[in-house]
Amino acid sequence: MKKLSKKTLNKSFLSWFYGNLTCFSQEHMQTFGYLCSMFPVVDELYDTKEEKKDAMQTYTAFFNTEPQIGTLVVGMTAGLEEAKANGEAIDGETINGIRAGLMGPLAGIGDSLIVGTLIPILLGIGLGLSGNGSPLGAIFYIITWNLLMFFGMKFAYFKGYELGGKAVEILVGEQAQALRDSIILIGTMVIGAVAASWISVTTSFEIPNVINLQSTFDSVYPKLLSAATVLFCWWLMTKKKISPTMVMLLLVVIAFVGVLLGFFNPGLSY
Amino acid sequence: MQINLFQAILLGLCACLSSMPGLGGTTFGNYTLGRPLVAGLVVGMILGDIQTGIIVGAAIQVIYIALVTPGGTVSADVRAISYIGIPLSICAIKGMGLDPASSTARDMAAALGAAVGTLGTVLFYGTATVNLVWQHMGWKAVEKGDFKKLYLVDMGLPWISHFICSFLPTVAITMAGSSMVDLMKAYLPMDGIAMKTLFTVGSLLPAVGVAILLKQVVNKAADFLTFFFGFTLAACMGLNLIGAAVIGGFFAVINYKIQMLKVRPAVAGAYVDDEEEDI
Repeated sequence: MKKLSKKTLNKSFLSWFYGNLTCFSQEHMQTFGYLCSMFPVVDELYDTKEEKKDAMQTYTAFFNTEPQIGTLVVGMTAGLEEAKANGEAIDGETINGIRAGLMGPLAGIGDSLIVGTLIPILLGIGLGLSGNGSPLGAIFYIITWNLLMFFGMKFAYFKGYELGGKAVEILVGEQAQALRDSIILIGTMVIGAVAASWISVTTSFEIPNVINLQSTFDSVYPKLLSAATVLFCWWLMTKKKISPTMVMLLLVVIAFVGVLLGFFNPGLSY
Repeated sequence: MQINLFQAILLGLCACLSSMPGLGGTTFGNYTLGRPLVAGLVVGMILGDIQTGIIVGAAIQVIYIALVTPGGTVSADVRAISYIGIPLSICAIKGMGLDPASSTARDMAAALGAAVGTLGTVLFYGTATVNLVWQHMGWKAVEKGDFKKLYLVDMGLPWISHFICSFLPTVAITMAGSSMVDLMKAYLPMDGIAMKTLFTVGSLLPAVGVAILLKQVVNKAADFLTFFFGFTLAACMGLNLIGAAVIGGFFAVINYKIQMLKVRPAVAGAYVDDEEEDI
């Protein structure tokens, strides 16, 4: 009965933690990071060079997902490889089927939960702490983010190793869904506050004694123009399927026209 | 303000570590050193003005608060935004004599950061393409069963890609760029159309960052209400971001409890304390 040592598993985890994207290309993405993290596992489980080559061949298949949440898959395959080395009815094809099946869903969860929610929450708080130029917010982000990720990823790796296929339940079960929705709710609210605190779109348009557009807007809803700009950009990207870069270029045009018409005026001089 | 060679080299190193396929790793490289807020601190330390660095970094951070790179396609690459955009913005703000704490300085930083960010896309594809050479060597090693070499391929050789696509451009642009500010000042007056447009664009750009994020999290119209709840708390009631996170957390707990009731409604009441364990 072969059993992977704690040292090997740690080595495999650390290789993935650091090297998951270091040798990125459009063609193979995270494949080389995966190979590096599986080598210690394969090296310990098999004795002959031929067996090792055979086992490593499994992991030459394309792999790409959100690498931080994807740690779970790496842990799972370490467990599966161990089972395979012990003669259980698992072959490289089964392992690759599982890997390929999880890549997409995990990328979706990771992108929305980690990159789209957790990072903005932490950065939002960091921005709040750094508003006046204090380094506190940046330090807060560095510490909380790295601790959360290092231990979170380590947890995911070892959970994946222990539970194998069942580990997926942690992420896609009904309870996980409820938890995810709730975390996204915090993120959406914080982003609302970030938008109100950091976006400041104002107009300089006025006809003396008749109308001062900015103060009219302010009396309707504070930061009305900022909110409208966000909605406009969202509409362009979601409903009109325009890329963020094109939206930015469009804003340059809008700004230019707006300045010509006297709608925008930052009011500066040297 | 000038950036000397030593400072430029440090910036170049940070650029190598922080990009998307960066050598600091995903978590510490891209998602820590690469975030403009953190880069503001780092660049501030390198250039000797932490306060301005942080203010500039924070202003640019809002635009890139949700930089998601689904499937390896980038809309902008952080190495250029953070380690070329921020130093240049600091130079520009100082060179033009703007008050770093003013909203005009923030608009300036946002506009410059985003402009440089588009350059980053070129650097991103450049790095990924050069990496193909090392991967080719990697496949040979796999065929021969020489697996130790994989570590060199994955973690060592990409330094060469980054030397070409991150280090050299950063050093060259930051050193040349700092003297461009004087030219800008001479030829583009603040009250001219070009500069007015630049500052206006800077004030509009953060909306794009927030919109990218909304695109991720808004699935139905009601989700907008959550966003505007946070927006209103901050805009009308002056709540700060930590306060918003706390209130958001409170509603998240309520939401979680309600959702869990839907999951296991059968014997609600009898097993209420069952819920408590899950939190």
